[in-house]
Amino acid sequence: MSQSQWSELVNYFRGRSMWMLHYCTGCGAIELPPVMTSRWDMERFGIIPMATPRQADILLITGYLSIKTLKRVVYTYDQMSTPKWVLGFGSCTINGGIYWDSYNVIDRLDKYIPVDIYIAGCMPRPEAIMDSFIKLREMVQKGEAKGYEKYTKNYEWYKANQDHVFGRSEPVLRKAEEVTKSA
Amino acid sequence: MNSNLIWLVALPLIGSAVAAIVVRYKFLDRLITFLTFATTLFVLFSVHVGQSYSWGLNFLGTTLNLTLNVSHLSIFMLYISIAFGTVLTFYSLIDHSRMKGFLLLLILAANNWIFMSNDMVGFFFAWELMGWASVVSVLGGREREKSRHAALYYMIMSVSGSYSMFFGIFTLWRLTGTFSISANIAYLSSIVGIHPWWVLGIVSLFFVTFMIKAGIFPFHTWVPLAYAYSPDAFTPFLSAVMSKYGIYGMLLFMPLSLMERGFPSAFGGVPWTNYIFVWIGVITAVLGTVLAIFQDDVKKLFAYSSLSNLGYVVAAIALFTPVGITAGIFHAFNHLLFKGTLFITLLAVISRSGTSKLSEMGGLWKKMPITFFTFFVGIASAAGIPPFNGFGSKWLIYQAMIKQHLPFATILLFLASTGAFMYLFKAFHSIFLGQLSHDYDRVKEVSAVGKITEFFLMFAMTFFGVQPGYILKPIGAIVKSMGLKPLPVMANGYVTGMFSNIYVPLISWSLAVSFTLGFILFFVSAKHKYVSQENNYTAGQIPEDWGLTPETYQFSWNFYQPVEKLFAPFFRIKIDGFFRGTGDWTKTIGSAIKEIFVGNAQMYAFFAIVGLIIFVIAGWMA
Amino acid sequence: MTILLKLIQGIGVGALSIAVGLLFIGIGRKITARIQRRYGPPPIQNFFDIFKLLSKRSISHGFAFDLGLIAGFSALLAAVVFLPMGQINIFPHNSSLIMIIYLMTMAYLGMAMGVSSSGNPNATIGIARALTMMMGYEVPFAAVIFSVYIFSRTGSLANIVAAQSGGFLNWNLVRLPFGFVAAEIALQGMLGEKPFDMTIAPSEIASGPMVEMGGKYLGFGMLQHSIGLFIETGIMVDLFLGGASNIWIFIAKQFVLYFAALMINAIMPRFRIEEGVSFMWKFPLLLGVVQALIVVL
Repeated sequence: MSQSQWSELVNYFRGRSMWMLHYCTGCGAIELPPVMTSRWDMERFGIIPMATPRQADILLITGYLSIKTLKRVVYTYDQMSTPKWVLGFGSCTINGGIYWDSYNVIDRLDKYIPVDIYIAGCMPRPEAIMDSFIKLREMVQKGEAKGYEKYTKNYEWYKANQDHVFGRSEPVLRKAEEVTKSA
Repeated sequence: MNSNLIWLVALPLIGSAVAAIVVRYKFLDRLITFLTFATTLFVLFSVHVGQSYSWGLNFLGTTLNLTLNVSHLSIFMLYISIAFGTVLTFYSLIDHSRMKGFLLLLILAANNWIFMSNDMVGFFFAWELMGWASVVSVLGGREREKSRHAALYYMIMSVSGSYSMFFGIFTLWRLTGTFSISANIAYLSSIVGIHPWWVLGIVSLFFVTFMIKAGIFPFHTWVPLAYAYSPDAFTPFLSAVMSKYGIYGMLLFMPLSLMERGFPSAFGGVPWTNYIFVWIGVITAVLGTVLAIFQDDVKKLFAYSSLSNLGYVVAAIALFTPVGITAGIFHAFNHLLFKGTLFITLLAVISRSGTSKLSEMGGLWKKMPITFFTFFVGIASAAGIPPFNGFGSKWLIYQAMIKQHLPFATILLFLASTGAFMYLFKAFHSIFLGQLSHDYDRVKEVSAVGKITEFFLMFAMTFFGVQPGYILKPIGAIVKSMGLKPLPVMANGYVTGMFSNIYVPLISWSLAVSFTLGFILFFVSAKHKYVSQENNYTAGQIPEDWGLTPETYQFSWNFYQPVEKLFAPFFRIKIDGFFRGTGDWTKTIGSAIKEIFVGNAQMYAFFAIVGLIIFVIAGWMA
Repeated sequence: MTILLKLIQGIGVGALSIAVGLLFIGIGRKITARIQRRYGPPPIQNFFDIFKLLSKRSISHGFAFDLGLIAGFSALLAAVVFLPMGQINIFPHNSSLIMIIYLMTMAYLGMAMGVSSSGNPNATIGIARALTMMMGYEVPFAAVIFSVYIFSRTGSLANIVAAQSGGFLNWNLVRLPFGFVAAEIALQGMLGEKPFDMTIAPSEIASGPMVEMGGKYLGFGMLQHSIGLFIETGIMVDLFLGGASNIWIFIAKQFVLYFAALMINAIMPRFRIEEGVSFMWKFPLLLGVVQALIVVL
């Protein structure tokens, strides 16, 4: 079996078994129970919710991310093992949604971590989520979902973006001990 | 004359005298101790079963014959105790605790004398020597005040045991006119059918002593104290070797009485005296296990564990069937090996970390990998996991119990075994696994001497686990010498002819193959990378932002809280009633004893007279 | 030559147990889904999962982590060859039940060591819960196995099976009904199915022991679970359902037991840990003790 055939086989299995970590920050979390339970049942595609980033293949981000939350998301993403994929859920992850001009909410998720598929809508319906799963499976099986490789390749760029935005989460007032020191 | 027997006793005494002279120089003291142990082991090679030596002693106009006699049981006990002592003293060369080598040598002399003595005077004298030397040895633990208290408690128990044995000896002497153990046992065996109650009474006097020394159920209270607060280097000897004196005594007196058919049978063809004794063993096993689960002091935890294991041994030998005796002695040996190893590794850990509190340790496996593996093999043995050495004896004990149709005792023993797994894992986790505190960043592995000892012990535990035949054969000889039919044991551990067969090497082969397959599968799978202990799942929280330290991310306090809740009703009785009662009692006795030593001279004279009166009464009765 | 043959047989049995275990879990997922009115994954879903897990990269916390997980898998693999299953019985004179149980204990110890060395308290809490639960279910199970020992006058699984030959009425299920019920409840705890699944509670302690496991480590855990499932149901079949004349009937009987466990699993909530243990020590233990009394008297 040649190298490419082998990777094709591996990709096939990966597409058939994708375990998901849902990072539910916003209102979108309410769309997930119907996806998991009997109405739409994502388990028939081999997708099940997992408890920790170590076990997961998909990171599903539902909704807006404040800067503080983004820091946790990046940390969680770093803790996942490759191959890993990110699904951005709802317009908040695409362009900030209704928080587009908020001072502490990020506008575009894929400036900070690579997003493989965006699910548009506010809110996207469960069908849309299912559709994105199918699409992701197709991409994985064709070997096209390579967001994590993009992340390693362009790590400096992502890191700079992250640091830039995290800098804004530093306390505005100086720390107490610095104040006393300068006084 | 077989004068080499004398040397077994004399050599440690000489060594002890020399070591006592140089006791100020710790290393020299330890070196002499080690060399004496090694030489004694060397002398032991020339000792064979059936040798005996006796000399007369003129005492108050009568001639006392002090006899040394080597039976199958004694040579077995001698080998295992001296061999373990040699390993321990070798390790103690690098140890810094306040154990005195010359006291250990005194105990060795007493040890050899006890195991060979065939007269009760010598036996009693050696027993006392051992008792006092060990009491003094217990002094000098890390916490002085507590170790003094523990030694006092131990002394009281030990002395009351001695009184009991003293009465027993003189009662027997009055009946038979001889001090010879074998003659007395023969006498008791001959009258057990006629006067069972008499025999039971006399033997009980001895058994109280032995049960105190082994720490069996009603007399177990000194064990956790003495084990926990004795010097760290002495605890392995205390647990591994000295608890076996009680077992040896029981085996010595067992053939004669409780078991002969003087008493009607309870269940499963076991005389009811034995039946009660089985239950005492079972209660000890369960009690030790349950109490061990909740300890935070690691030495106390393993003290209760020793208690539990001796409960197993007693339950097995009390059956007095070939399987039971074999299993009991085998388990005594296994306990000696694995508990000795565990205490030696604890010695290493405590000397490096400076604490014996489980909640203050953690993550040491990265720093002390060899000690970690030794400890792992030790707890695997203690939990009875094949192919290590504890498995065979536990398996045999179950076989023995079931063969006598005692399902409830067996169920409780099984519970004790599962509970053992719980506390062993608790200790294992809290010491070696989990988060490494920054306090221990500079902890180092033990030095070369310690490593050699640990490798040797690991090898021994695996070897006797895979090849139990080497131990089961001498045990077979012991069983035969007791007049029972020995177990059919093949050369290398094929135990057959019972409820089921096991062939231990087969298990080992099976494990070897499956581990090979496991490793192959592991290495052909996708690659892994090593991360630090800070890189851990924290529900998305970032450790440094959160102020997370290794100590706060270590789970070792209240480890088995649900179990605690489960046993809460029992604890209310025990802790509030029994133990506080014992505590108060100890305090009272303690202050009374203190009175003797620090009170006025009248008080001292009064107690001296009371002691004398007791002595005279005993003599008069005799 | 015989050694080589036994080796190949042993590896074959190991592979069979893995395959059957994974298939059982897959079918179990399907059945649970149907009970919950879902469509459910394909029954071979777990083979996909295993393949993916073994080919996924992972992190490790050191050699104790690696070794523990390997031990967890390998010790069960070593135990399964001693299990008599239908006409497949590689070591007919070495099938002591207690030996098999203690060999399985090694797997638990290895697993516990591995996951705890990661330093994650969630994992250790999970292990502490598992060990507590183990103390709960092993006691009634011990009552049952010792009753069977005394009843059949043998402790070897192969002989226990032989003692039950000759039709349905000779099965221990019929002869020792209380023991069977007790063992069935204990089996529920052994398999870690609801209501005794507090070990792997995903939302309380982040799936407990599995919290730091990813990729092949989780794969090893899954393989361990599948072999464990095979051995535990297999022991029950040998103890109570009269063994089997061939391997397919054996697997069918195993599935019946697993199916019953699944049904209970699908409709039950979760016990708290001390509730679980005290439940085990009340009802099943009572049944086990009654059975032992009946056998002894």
